[in-house]
Amino acid sequence: MKKYIIAVAALAALVSCRNLKEEWDPVFTLKQPDATWFVPVTEEYLKETEGLETISSIAELKALYKNKPLLIMDNIWIKGKVISSDQSGNIYNEVYIQDGKSEADGDAITIKLGKSSLYNEYEPGRWVYVKCKSLTLGAYNGMLQLGMGQDETASNEYETSYMNMQAVIDAHVFRGFLDEPYKPVTLTESSLKAAVAAGASDHIWGKVVKIKGLTYGDQIFALFYPNPNMAHKSGNPENRVFLSDKGVWGVTTWSCTKASYVAYLNSGAWDTAEVGSGATRYGTILGTPEQYLDAVTAAKFGADAYLSYKGIMIKYASANYISHYFKLGETDVQVRTSGYAKFADLEIDPAIREEKKPVTIEGIITLYNDAAQISLVNDPSQSVVIE
Amino acid sequence: MTKRILLAFAALACTVALFAQEPTGGVKGTVVNRNGRQPVEKARLVVMQGATQVATASSAQDGTFLIPGLADGIYTLVIEAPEFLESQVQVTVNDGYVKNMFNLSLTASQQVTEVDDDSFSAFDLDDSGYSDNPTILFGSNDVFNSIAGYNFSSVRFRARGYSSESQDVLLAGVKLNDAITGYSPFSLWSGLNEATRAKESVNGAELSDYGFGGYNGLTNIFGTASEMRKGLRGSVLTNSTLYRLRLMASYATGMQDNGWAFAANVSARLGGNDWIRGVYYRSFAYYLAADKVLNDQNKLSFAFFGTPGQRGAQNSSTQEVYDLVGDNMYNSNWGYQNGHVRNARVRKTHEPIAFVKWDFTPSDKFEGSATVLYRFGKNGYTALDWYDAQDPRPDYYRNLPSYYYGTIDGVYVDDLNRNNPDKYQTALNVWKYANMYSNLTHVDWDRLYNVNRMQEYGRSKYVQEERRVDQKDLNLAFTFKARPAQWVTLNGGLNARVNRTEYYKTVADLLGGEYFVDVDNFAERDFAASPYKTQNDLNYYLINRAARELKVGDKYGYDYYAQVRSYEAWLSGRFVSGPFSATLAGRVGYDTFWREGLMRKGLFPGLAPNGTMMVDPLTGETIVPSYEADGSVTTSFGKSKAARFFTYAGKANLNYVIGGNMRVYANVGYFNDAPKFNQVFLSPRTRNSMVSDLTTTKTFSSDINWQFFGSGINVRATAYWTKMWDQSKVMSAYDDLQNAFSNFAISGINERHMGVELGFKMPTYIIPNVSLQGVLSLGEYIYTSTPKMTQTVDNSAEVVMSDVYVPYWTKTMLSDGSVAQKHYVPSTPQTAASLGLAYNYNYWFIDADVEYFDRAYLDMNPLYRTDYAVAGLDNAITDEEVLYMTTQEKFKPAWLVNLSVGKSWYIQRKYQIGFSLNVKNLLNNKEVKTGGYEQTRLVDNTASKNRYYRFDSKYFYMAGTNYMLNVYFRF
Repeated sequence: MKKYIIAVAALAALVSCRNLKEEWDPVFTLKQPDATWFVPVTEEYLKETEGLETISSIAELKALYKNKPLLIMDNIWIKGKVISSDQSGNIYNEVYIQDGKSEADGDAITIKLGKSSLYNEYEPGRWVYVKCKSLTLGAYNGMLQLGMGQDETASNEYETSYMNMQAVIDAHVFRGFLDEPYKPVTLTESSLKAAVAAGASDHIWGKVVKIKGLTYGDQIFALFYPNPNMAHKSGNPENRVFLSDKGVWGVTTWSCTKASYVAYLNSGAWDTAEVGSGATRYGTILGTPEQYLDAVTAAKFGADAYLSYKGIMIKYASANYISHYFKLGETDVQVRTSGYAKFADLEIDPAIREEKKPVTIEGIITLYNDAAQISLVNDPSQSVVIE
Repeated sequence: MTKRILLAFAALACTVALFAQEPTGGVKGTVVNRNGRQPVEKARLVVMQGATQVATASSAQDGTFLIPGLADGIYTLVIEAPEFLESQVQVTVNDGYVKNMFNLSLTASQQVTEVDDDSFSAFDLDDSGYSDNPTILFGSNDVFNSIAGYNFSSVRFRARGYSSESQDVLLAGVKLNDAITGYSPFSLWSGLNEATRAKESVNGAELSDYGFGGYNGLTNIFGTASEMRKGLRGSVLTNSTLYRLRLMASYATGMQDNGWAFAANVSARLGGNDWIRGVYYRSFAYYLAADKVLNDQNKLSFAFFGTPGQRGAQNSSTQEVYDLVGDNMYNSNWGYQNGHVRNARVRKTHEPIAFVKWDFTPSDKFEGSATVLYRFGKNGYTALDWYDAQDPRPDYYRNLPSYYYGTIDGVYVDDLNRNNPDKYQTALNVWKYANMYSNLTHVDWDRLYNVNRMQEYGRSKYVQEERRVDQKDLNLAFTFKARPAQWVTLNGGLNARVNRTEYYKTVADLLGGEYFVDVDNFAERDFAASPYKTQNDLNYYLINRAARELKVGDKYGYDYYAQVRSYEAWLSGRFVSGPFSATLAGRVGYDTFWREGLMRKGLFPGLAPNGTMMVDPLTGETIVPSYEADGSVTTSFGKSKAARFFTYAGKANLNYVIGGNMRVYANVGYFNDAPKFNQVFLSPRTRNSMVSDLTTTKTFSSDINWQFFGSGINVRATAYWTKMWDQSKVMSAYDDLQNAFSNFAISGINERHMGVELGFKMPTYIIPNVSLQGVLSLGEYIYTSTPKMTQTVDNSAEVVMSDVYVPYWTKTMLSDGSVAQKHYVPSTPQTAASLGLAYNYNYWFIDADVEYFDRAYLDMNPLYRTDYAVAGLDNAITDEEVLYMTTQEKFKPAWLVNLSVGKSWYIQRKYQIGFSLNVKNLLNNKEVKTGGYEQTRLVDNTASKNRYYRFDSKYFYMAGTNYMLNVYFRF
């Protein structure tokens, strides 16, 4: 018994000493100790501490996907070099990694980390090891992604969800050493056509590519939700407005922030845009929900039902995606830009837009509705070059 | 022979007469309070010879007493007075003379349980728009205040529900409430307990000789050398809730024969505590003062003091976090840096004050004083700042389990659109085993450093900023007291204040990086394509073509002056007729203030000095300004329009003394006061825009009081009724619906405060030297108006909501007109009671009290009480939504038990040594909420897209059992 008492007393003394040290530290030292330094992980370290056995290729991982989300139960690890950056704001909440020994080699996949400003810790060129066990492999519009399991919510439409929590990221995504970033893979029209024809199985999707000889296609695509806080999925055409099929709608910037969205609306350039989607078209945005909709549907807009759609769009304005069409020979390539990108309001060079000078564009290529789409990783001043 | 016989008879008669004469000896003196040397009235003096009581007497109004008829001999004089430690002195009466004992000083029985700024934890409410400043009650002359001031301080009790801004605090006759916020300024002299001990207070709307006051009492701290207790004093104090150690020493000469008095007081408060990790003190204090009596009419006083130091702050969190970590005192401000605890939020202050006071007494009928006081120095508060990096706050709502599994009152709600069991379980594990995940449940300093270290060219993404509020505050005060006739006394004064407060922030620590860049990251999100709009300092950019690269100590972000000018004159007349007296008083004033921007923010560039639009000198591009709703240009730079207010107030007091120890008195007052600077400017960090419809606040206050003092009984009972109109405030918070930092200006807030106060102390009559003491504060503090709210955002001049009514501010009202809940003025218990026993004998005191607190409510945000928030996305209002969104949280009632023990010893009647031990919350009740606030944010990402939900509220809790031990000596 005495032993226990002594042990408890010693422990209490130790704890209180630690606490005393803690509380007097800032009183006496004033200066903070040097923070511990980040140490990149190695495969040996992961073998010793995290149970790494073998590393699969990203292609092998992708091959496990059979058109439905897959919760990975085996001790599967992949590694890849970060090829994306969210610094410009056009890529958000995720990193793309690519394995292989060179840019032409290997496959790429999206890791849905669910955090902002990832480029601070996942810079292009950094090797990343991913412990896939208990993560979920899924697809979105043909692109494979690795994340957490689906959110079990009524409105969920994604096969995977973001990891979100640092604890999850820390348990699954390990940062290795920083290497030279991969250079973009150059795509020709024929290789692009072949990739589109091959569909999601092609190795090109998700990689950083460079496409030469693109010319501006004088067409944009945008989908707006007049009141983004209300339901706006395909079953709610009363809350959808498309800009498509009719040229560029006066849009001269890569995308639109909230401010430029309002400016475009106020300019009248979008006045002929129609409310609705698919076969359901109600009329232009100058009309009101009360005019276009039945009483029950119009009531969803509350007092806004008496505002014009244009007025509602201005009232609930937010940043939006815009896709600009470019042509590579006969093949369309959409350049899709987020309204939250730092270059969203940047004017597209008139030489590109009006003079149709050919350009070389660098970005991450993805498959979207059976068409190629590029997301610029960097500012257009770097990633869109007039030839 | 006959003559001889007559002479002999006469001699015999004389001898007989001589033998029959009463003793002519006695004792006299003045009973005074050690605290400030104020006379103690009605002290009971008992002359003992051995065990025999020889004589008794009471001290007069001026503290004097005379006990005649004592024969020569040695006596013990026992002096007793409520609220004071009993005192005994030996008196020797010789040769039939009346022995003059001069001043007999009594020590207040709770002398070491004084309440000052240190009695309250510093809660970190920055940016929330809420304030949480308790009022501090001083109890030297009032039984209610003396008990409530100490016993209720732990629940941040506010007397009569009034905010601390309404409590006037004067130093040397100068009102020192903060010029910008009105908050009471006790922190300016924290740790200088001896130097500021001498003070006088009045309650409610009572009138004071030192100033007109408001409706929440006035305290004048004398602060001069001659008012400090004479002698050398020292104390060592340790407590378990704030700092580990306080060392204090003071010395005062008292007024010397040469007309000089000198005084000094120094202290250090150091270390952490048992309850809140990360909170620490490294605070010092100094005070030097001198008085010089120039002649019978004139005295000059000078004092200089300051309290340099720093203290780590405590943050509030949601109940979810507290429950997960199992600790209601969890503090999210700190984290480990290489294994050492570091607090991100540290208040660093040094605001010295110097004053010169001239007292002049040209005649017995007139006395006056004039004071010039200057406050200057720095007041900083550190915080984390980041650019293009993840939010480093550990209890950010997206890090919590509730973000992954949406419940309300513990029941899953599908509409919250949050259901991912795996993530929920992971988040749950992180917080339940917080010690294992200390890098996630506390600030991860090492990670912040490593992010900075990895940046190209050493550009820091995270820094520690220091938000500075540096005041230059010049005050002039003149007061006088005149007695033109026996029945009338006039008091009056003139006050002037010139205050220039500079608000800005600096880089305090680059956290391993080489530099930080002065750009507005919120503006960059919305206006990245405009290099002008993203600039915090557009003038710098236009010259240098790049944002400023910042090093430690550089100003950035915002920089502006709050300019305040305030002038007032007041006069009161006290008229006495026998037991009846009346006082009438009036005050007029003029307040003006304006903002002066020192940094031209790109979002609100304003116009060029010549009144035209600004033009980029390099590119020739016009820099288009934004506009206010009235068409005027919104600007961040230069002087704003001045807000001007004429103010006035009147007070009356009636007082009737019954039988010498009973008093009935009543006070009534009407006040028309200017709003404060922080209630007028919508977003002073970004622009000059002011709240529309500016108006003064009006208050009518009345109270009636009954007081009894005698036979060891001290009672005060008060009933009060106060109404306030047209109050306003500005709150700021991040609004998820606007995706921007928002400002909510609320105007037209009316309140009504009414209730009763009772304080008593009386002998038990059963147990010698044991008194029964108690206080009761029973009030109802409610809102009585439907205020209006205007919402703006920092990122544009756009008005999001203009003058919308806040219909659910006063009550939760359902569709059938029934009232589901009345809403109350928050942040203080509306029922507070204390009952206890006090033992006081032979320099021992033991106080044991039981307290009860109830009807305390959470601070409400106006957004949740608008139709907009209640209706939600479908614009339909249901009773369920009304109840959910507008109900005000009522805190659970709380019982507390406190115990104080003290003893002092006199050594050779020259030295005194003593201790006091105060143990609070003996029941170790850790569930007592002392404050908190509703976050001004709405959850809008719902499944149904029909309605909004509230963000969880944040709370502060009281510590469990805690102690304060003070050991002191006096020479």
